Amino acid sequence: MAALYVMIPVALVVVALAIWLLFWAIDNGQYDDLDSPAHNILFDDEDPSHKAGQAEAENPTKRDEAPPRA
Amino acid sequence: MASLTSCYHCGLPVPAGNRFQAHVLGEPREMCCPGCQAVAEAIVAGGLEGYYRHRSENAANPEALPQALGEELALYDRADVQQPFVRHEGELASTCLLIEGVSCAACGWLIEKHLRSLDGVAEATLNLSNHRLHVRWKDSQVPLSTLLEALRRIGYAAHPYQPDRAAEQLARENRRALRQLGVAGLLWFQVMMATMATWPEFNLDLSAGMDKLLRWVSLILTTPIVFYSSVDFFKGAWRDLRTRHLTMDVSVSLAIGGAYAAGIWSTLTGQGELYFDAAGMFALFLLAGRFLERRARERTAAATAQLVNLLPPSCLRLDDEGRSERILLRELGVGDRVLVPPGNLLPADGRIIAGQSSVDESLLTGEYLPHPCAPGDAVTAGTLNVEGPLTIEVQALGDDTRLSAIVRLLERAQADKPRLAELADRVAQWFLLAVLGVATLVGLIWWQIDAERAFWVVLALLVATCPCALSLATPTALTAATGNLHRLGLLLTRGHVLEGLNGIDTVVFDKTGTLTEGRLTLREVHPLRELDGNACLALAAALENRSEHPIARAFGRAPQAAERVDSTPGKGLEGLVQGRDLRIGQPAFVATLYGQPAPPIPGEQGQWLLLGDRQGALAWLVLDDRLREDAPALLEACRARGWQTLLLSGDSSPMVAEVAQRLGIDDARGGLTPDAKLAVLRQLHAQGHRVLMLGDGVNDVPVLAGADISVAMGSATDLAKTSADAILLSNRLDTLVQAFALARRTRRIIIENLAWAGLYNGLVLPFAALGWITPLWAAIGMSLSSLLVVLNALRLTRGA
Repeated sequence: MAALYVMIPVALVVVALAIWLLFWAIDNGQYDDLDSPAHNILFDDEDPSHKAGQAEAENPTKRDEAPPRA
Repeated sequence: MASLTSCYHCGLPVPAGNRFQAHVLGEPREMCCPGCQAVAEAIVAGGLEGYYRHRSENAANPEALPQALGEELALYDRADVQQPFVRHEGELASTCLLIEGVSCAACGWLIEKHLRSLDGVAEATLNLSNHRLHVRWKDSQVPLSTLLEALRRIGYAAHPYQPDRAAEQLARENRRALRQLGVAGLLWFQVMMATMATWPEFNLDLSAGMDKLLRWVSLILTTPIVFYSSVDFFKGAWRDLRTRHLTMDVSVSLAIGGAYAAGIWSTLTGQGELYFDAAGMFALFLLAGRFLERRARERTAAATAQLVNLLPPSCLRLDDEGRSERILLRELGVGDRVLVPPGNLLPADGRIIAGQSSVDESLLTGEYLPHPCAPGDAVTAGTLNVEGPLTIEVQALGDDTRLSAIVRLLERAQADKPRLAELADRVAQWFLLAVLGVATLVGLIWWQIDAERAFWVVLALLVATCPCALSLATPTALTAATGNLHRLGLLLTRGHVLEGLNGIDTVVFDKTGTLTEGRLTLREVHPLRELDGNACLALAAALENRSEHPIARAFGRAPQAAERVDSTPGKGLEGLVQGRDLRIGQPAFVATLYGQPAPPIPGEQGQWLLLGDRQGALAWLVLDDRLREDAPALLEACRARGWQTLLLSGDSSPMVAEVAQRLGIDDARGGLTPDAKLAVLRQLHAQGHRVLMLGDGVNDVPVLAGADISVAMGSATDLAKTSADAILLSNRLDTLVQAFALARRTRRIIIENLAWAGLYNGLVLPFAALGWITPLWAAIGMSLSSLLVVLNALRLTRGA
């Protein structure tokens, strides 16, 4: 039980650190947008058709239309 | 008639004989106009085709976005222009831009990736809730106008975002709320741990020294919870007590304050039980409830009053020699002369000096047909010049314009808005009085029996009959229902909407853009001679394509171009198409081409245009502002609830009476100014009615601000959206019908929650009065009852 005399002050220090960290994160604007990150993780840069699209952009295939007229 | 293919990019219909295509995701796709084709090609060229795979909504048609000219974009590179909204940090400049045209999450990905791929851009992050883009870039390498241009090329318009004080205030408050919540949560965990150790149930071999230590630790950890996190409860309670109201804040403050004070006493004297954990629990649960509620509402505060979007950012000033110079709006002075080309917004109130054109005044009157004007006429800031260039002498700017007068009207209407008392507060009043009464009684009785325990029993009573469940009853239900409505397409911006919907007895509708689509569409073509419908349409479209008039937009793209087109404002168009001389427009105007009297208009409804050549009339074309398909269902729902319906419109045409008759609206008035509409609202209020208003234009704004509940269409102007209590994002009227049903369910669930909270407290009261409640039971009871209330509220996230 004597260990508690050490553990409790340590716990207090850890809590103080946690609060400081929380405040820093909030002030840094990390909690301003809670919705976009949910969507961002769904975009897959490794998707094969995305890579095909990029390859196409670098070597465009020939297109046969006449220039657009209004 | 037009074929049924829709544009791959924006979803609008593609006319027959179309020649716009782009190669996307391995196949050629149909596009409706050069704008969509250019944007699609730019997206593919940037390797961003994934946008088309992932998007959940069609993109905005790029030609519907405000046209920023190259020279206007260059204005943004001037240091004095950048100064209010660009910050410099060392080498990098950072700014916040408001993006128009964002329709779904894939747009965010598209914009971020495209900007990040540009050299010199360090960071680009788009916030999907409020459409703000945060960019950091090296401005010595890349000027701001290049970024704006890049965005435009992929189909988005960007404006510098200058948060007004209200938006900044809101952002600060949100951060503060989150900090308070975080502190309460982190500290409460520790306090719970320390306090539980001192409870008689768990207290096995605690030495006196350890007990004292734990009490002091609990005290130290609870202090920030009480003085930092719960501060708003105390302020609210003080304010309410001063006006002699007993509300939720008062009961919460009593509980937290009482538990804390008793805890201090207990720590100092070393006896009695600790209730610090109760104080922490209250604070955490209630702050969490309020935070969720705030977040549910905050998504919508995105449409802040950007009055800047109603006026053009720049204009062309003419000097004495008649040369034009592009300047910022704020540099314009009274008495200056400005040149307004067709398709541009008028920057100030003024008088026409030269030029003949027509002006779209839908801003003020709601009428979608432009108003012809000539030198000497007065014109208003924010209206659109449609047909020909105008030279205007500026007579009023900024705060003195008619537009500002409308804004001031709305502010006054908002101040006079009647307040709906919240159900929960009324219950809280009754409840608190009961609890205080019982507590005093119990205290007095115990004082006679055993004075020592009296204080602790009363405290246990106050804590156990916790206002936790009572306080959570309403916020949880409202948050769940608001989230559900958001998914259905109705965004609530103010808290009282769901409860208030149950008290409505009158509905006021606007016509154009609300009950109708707000766009002229081609309803029929009646050929009169040898050419068939499609051929006539092609000829008509060829003429109309050169016009900026709203009527022209109904015709779509023409397969061939006209060689020459002249417009006579107010009458029609004349031109040469494939060797034929043609006129389209008013029957009298067209008939003078072939020299006979004008044929009578065959039908009643809609706008009838005549197409004719030198031999005679070719066809009748009928345009209509189509009624929304779900409008009858909405009116039916209103009638089923026994609500009185009114149609108030700024349009003075016979369409108003026609629409009212088709939908079965009791009272219809046309040709009303914003003032007149507000007067009708005041009259309804004076008669004691509770009014729901549905509208979309700036001319509806004062009524939207003053009505008990107001809903703005998603396609409304920004000012209308900010003044309204809810925004119909989906633009579908059946969402409103679902909202009415949901409002009723919400009220039922709030009552169920309040009843449960009351019941629970009633059950616990005798146990507490007899002195059998310990902190352990108080904690368990509090948690369980709050959980039940939250679970019950979650039923509102399902179904409609």
